[in-house]
Order: sequence, then C-alpha cells, then structure tokens
Amino acid sequence: MKLNNKILLGNLILSVVIFLLTAIGMYFLVIDTVYDELDNHLLQHKMDIIEQVQGEPESLKEIQKLGGLGSYEWVDISIYEGRAKESTNYYSTLDTTRSADDETLETYRRLASVITVDGNEYSIEIYEEVAAWQNISRTILLSVLAGLLIWILMLYMVNQIVFEKILTPFYKTVDTLESILNPTDFNEQFPESTTFEINVLNEALNTMMGQIRTSFEDQKKFIQNASHELLTPLSIIRQKAEKILSNSDQLDRQTVETANEIQQTAVRLSRLSNALLNISRVENKQFVLNEQVDIRAVTTEALDELQDFFSLKNISLEKEFCAELLVLGNKELIHSAIYNILQNAVKFSPEKSKITITITTGAGQNKIVVADEGPGIPEELKKSLFDRFKKGNRHINELGQDNGNGLGLSLVKSICKLHGFSYKAENKNGAGAEVTLIF
Amino acid sequence: MRALIVEDEPLLNEELKEQLLDEKFIVDTTETFQQARSLVEAEEYDLVLLDLGLPDGNGLDLLKIIKKNYEDTVVVILTARGEVEDKVKGLELGSDDYLAKPFAMAELRARIHAVLRRRFKINENEISIDKLLLNLNHMAVSYANKALDVTETEYKILRYLMLNKNKTITRIALSEHIWGSKVDDRFSLDFINSHMKNLRKKLSEAGAKTLIETVYGVGYKLESNEA
Repeated sequence: MKLNNKILLGNLILSVVIFLLTAIGMYFLVIDTVYDELDNHLLQHKMDIIEQVQGEPESLKEIQKLGGLGSYEWVDISIYEGRAKESTNYYSTLDTTRSADDETLETYRRLASVITVDGNEYSIEIYEEVAAWQNISRTILLSVLAGLLIWILMLYMVNQIVFEKILTPFYKTVDTLESILNPTDFNEQFPESTTFEINVLNEALNTMMGQIRTSFEDQKKFIQNASHELLTPLSIIRQKAEKILSNSDQLDRQTVETANEIQQTAVRLSRLSNALLNISRVENKQFVLNEQVDIRAVTTEALDELQDFFSLKNISLEKEFCAELLVLGNKELIHSAIYNILQNAVKFSPEKSKITITITTGAGQNKIVVADEGPGIPEELKKSLFDRFKKGNRHINELGQDNGNGLGLSLVKSICKLHGFSYKAENKNGAGAEVTLIF
Repeated sequence: MRALIVEDEPLLNEELKEQLLDEKFIVDTTETFQQARSLVEAEEYDLVLLDLGLPDGNGLDLLKIIKKNYEDTVVVILTARGEVEDKVKGLELGSDDYLAKPFAMAELRARIHAVLRRRFKINENEISIDKLLLNLNHMAVSYANKALDVTETEYKILRYLMLNKNKTITRIALSEHIWGSKVDDRFSLDFINSHMKNLRKKLSEAGAKTLIETVYGVGYKLESNEA
C-alpha cells in the first residue's frame, strides 16, 4: 500500500471512530438535556399553579377546567386521597393516549405531585408531550453530525491534496530508485527538497550512489591496469623465450626445451589472467546486455570454431535445433559461454563418440542442452563444478593430461548470473555428462 | 620501408625493433605519446606499431592523427587491454590489425606481411618457397604447378610457416594462430601434431619431402635454401 494511502486510511478510520463515539455521546447528552428541560418546564408549570391558587383559591376550578383542555400539555387535578409530603415531585415518562379515541400511543412526561389549597389536598398531574422536544433535539443532533461528517470528508480531501503535494518529492525519489537497473549507469542527482527528511534521504542516496559509482570506476580501472601491468611483462617473457627458440639450431636441446617451457608457462599465465579478468569484468557488469542474440547462430559459430577438434577426434555431432531462439543479452558473452561448454564436451569425449546438442523453445523452456558420451562428472565435483579452479583430479589422471585452468565453467557461471540464465550439469543415465543452459 | 614503434615498455620496444630490423625496416622508436605525436606529424611511415596504453595519452588519439595525415600508413594496434570495445574502436578509426598482448612474434610478422601486401596492393599475392606456391588471398596451394588439396587448417599452418620462413614456430604460437587464444593450450597442442602429420603426408605425396622440419619438443620450421 502506498504511504499516502496508508496515512489517509488511518486518518479516515480514526475520524469514523471519533464520529461514531461523538454521535453516541451527543445522542445521550441531548436526550438528557431535553428531559432536564422538560422537567424544569413541568416544575415551573406547577409553581405557577401553586402561586395562582394560593392568591385566589377559587380559581382552582378554572385551572382544572382550562388545564384539562390542552392536548400537548395538560393538567389533571383531583382530590388527593393518599398521604404524601407536599413537596415531593414524581417525574415519569409514559406512553399513553390523550383521549380514548386516539389509537396511537404518544410519549408524555408526567409530573405527579400533591398541593394543598385551603387545607384540602389535591393530587396534581401535569403532562407534556415529549415528541415536540424530541423533534428539536433530533434536528440539533442531525445537523451537528452532518456538520461533523462534512468536516471529515473535507479533511480527507484536503489531506489527500496536501499529502500528494508534500509527498511528491518522496515519490519521485522512490520512482527514480525503482528505475535504476545498474548503479553505474545512473548519473542523475536526487533533487533538493523543502522537506527536511526527504532532503536527508536524497542527500544520503546521492552520497551512496556516488560511492558506488566511484568504487565501480576504481574497480574497472584496476582491472584494466592490472591486465595491462601483467600482460606487458608476460609479453616480454614470451618474446624473449621465442627469440631463444628461433635460433634453436645453435643451441643444445636442454636449453631449447627450457625456453619452450618458459614460453608455454608465460602463455598459460597470460591466459589465466585474461580469464580471471574476464570473469571480473562480467561480475562487475561491464558489458551491455541489449543485443538480440540468435542462439542457433551463435552455437553454429562456436561449432565452426571447434570443427577441427570434432573431426580430429572423429566425434559425430547430432543437432536438434528448434525454430529460431532469440535471447536478449551480450552476444560475445553468450558465445563464449556456449563455446566453453562445447569445448568441455569435446575435451572429455572419447574418440568416435557422439555429442548431442539440443535447442528447444517454449515457456520457461528456452534452453540449450549439450550431452556427451564422456566419463561424466565425478561425484566429488558435482557441487563445485562451476566454481573457480575446481577440476577433477581423477579426471586428469584418467586422461593422462591436465585440461586447462578450470576457469571455463566458472566464466559460464558468471555469464549466466549476469544474464539471469540458469545452468546445470548432470550425468546422463547411460554415460556422459549433460550441461544445460536455460535462458 | 619506414616503421615507427610506439610502446612504453622499453624491453618490448627493443624486441619489436630487432624484429622489424630483421625484416629490413628502417625503424624509429618512442615510448611516449608526446614524442610519438611529433614524429607522426612530421614523418610519413609505412608501418606504425601502436600500443594503446601509453602513460601520457591514449593510443587511439594517436591513431586518429596518423590516419588524418597519412591515410596509407599501416597501423597495427598492440594492446594489453583485451577489451573488445577497444578493438572495435581501433578498427573503426582505421587501424589495419589488432594484436592482444602477449602475442607471438611470428604472429606479428605474419600479420605485418599480410597487411602490407594488402595495403600496397602487391599484385602477385603469392609467396613461394622452392616449388611451393601459396596464395595469400584465398585457399590455393600448389607444388611444382600441381595443386594441393589442403584443408583450411592445413592452409593456415602452411601460410603461417611460409610467412615466417627460416624461423622456428612453436606449437603454441601455431595453435593460437589457428584457433585463437580461447582454446585451452594443452588441449589443442596434440591437434597440431595430427594436422601437421596430414599436411606432411600431402606434401611428400606431391614430392616436397623435407620442407617442414620438426624442432624437437618445440615446434616447426620451414627452411628455404633460396635465402
């Protein structure tokens, strides 16, 4: 849920709760006030009557007559027969009808009391209809609540506008962050804002982005420098050894062989450092992944490059290529991943065996599978096959030779990670290994 | 022919100079961008070997200057920055070839020969040793006017040896020349042997028995008695 919606929803819930509590409270308060007022009114009425009859006792009859005429308010006076204290007032609310003809009950408030006129005690009951008062109180209640409701709605709308306005820079920051694919490609600055917190946030982000960029640049420079600084001296070693070898006629055999070993080691070392630098470059995301790469074409290209090895080892090739498979990525890298997998397959294939390459498409099934008939993946290597410098010792012994620097599949791994491909290697049921890349 | 070597590493610079002198070039050398710039602005060279990673400037800028002043100068880029972008940029700016360090001298020699022949449109694009004739432009080899049926790899091996005649070519340099540096070295060396066996068989069937000499444990050499 978005932040401003969350705040608005919180406000709304709180407002509604307050509104309901106020409504209930108001209701009881108003009712209470109405009855208090009614009772006051009735008492005043009684006092008026007492005052009247004490001045002119003979007017009691007239009051009796007139008082009985009212319909909203009337007075019943009769001879009192019980014994009660004169001053006691009994209030009660009752539903009754004014006359026998009326069918609907109305709510009335009654004051029952006893008065003494000329030594005679009379019971007096004063009635007053509640409905009129209730109407007034309901009107008051409704208008107050309506006002409150309008206030809440307006508050909601105003909040929305204000939040929208205040939170806009924040959302801009969030959107920008969301749009960053690669921190190094990001050259914008997060803008200044009038809100303190957003300013702090944006400044912190600017600093961090700057640091990421600098360290990335540093690393990139380091990789370039390291490769340059390593490869130039290696170049010299190689060429000096080569120079010795080019005059091999005049040298004894041991010198020639030693120079040859020096040269081979220099070459291996330079390839090793190239491979490591390549992996670092991939892991540092120094490649652009925006090419449409035709997997079939890339595979065919890699096969062409390895054609010599296939034919010299008499390896037959079985290709099952589906319809066109295009993948978004870096062509050079994908080529090099497929090349490495194929080279491995050739390397471990015995003479006159078969290598099967399958390319299939389908939802989540865009993949290339390379299967060989070699010795398969040794048990101790299964987990770490794609890690750096892992190679099977048993393998080397069986084939009687070292097979490269063990960085090939590690490069495949980092290329796959960069592109978001998955990879796996397993042993087939019969014999041989099977490497799969899922795009 | 005049050549300029722009390389900041003195030992390598010296080595390159020796090689080019061997090839009968008149050679100037420099280790800095500034000096290289004044040299290429003043003189016309036939060949420039250009290192991209110079301490006081980018070799690509130098390439622009050279190509602006003397379009016909052949520029071969030497670099330890194995980045493809550099290679592409260099070729776009008009460099004629590109070699990643560390390279074999034989490779450089072969490239220089090929590039110079292409650049100066030498008509007979064929090289011959004894009665062996090889066309540099397309896959055609003949011995004593009889065409030899060679595979592409065999053609490449032969061409490489011929462009480097009388020099020992190590198997590792040969493997790099044919398959590039991507292929595992130890893995590929055995394949050189089998290719060489086939090639020799074809040559001896055509009558050229002892043309390719084996330098034991190291590589091969194509001897020419014509000097």
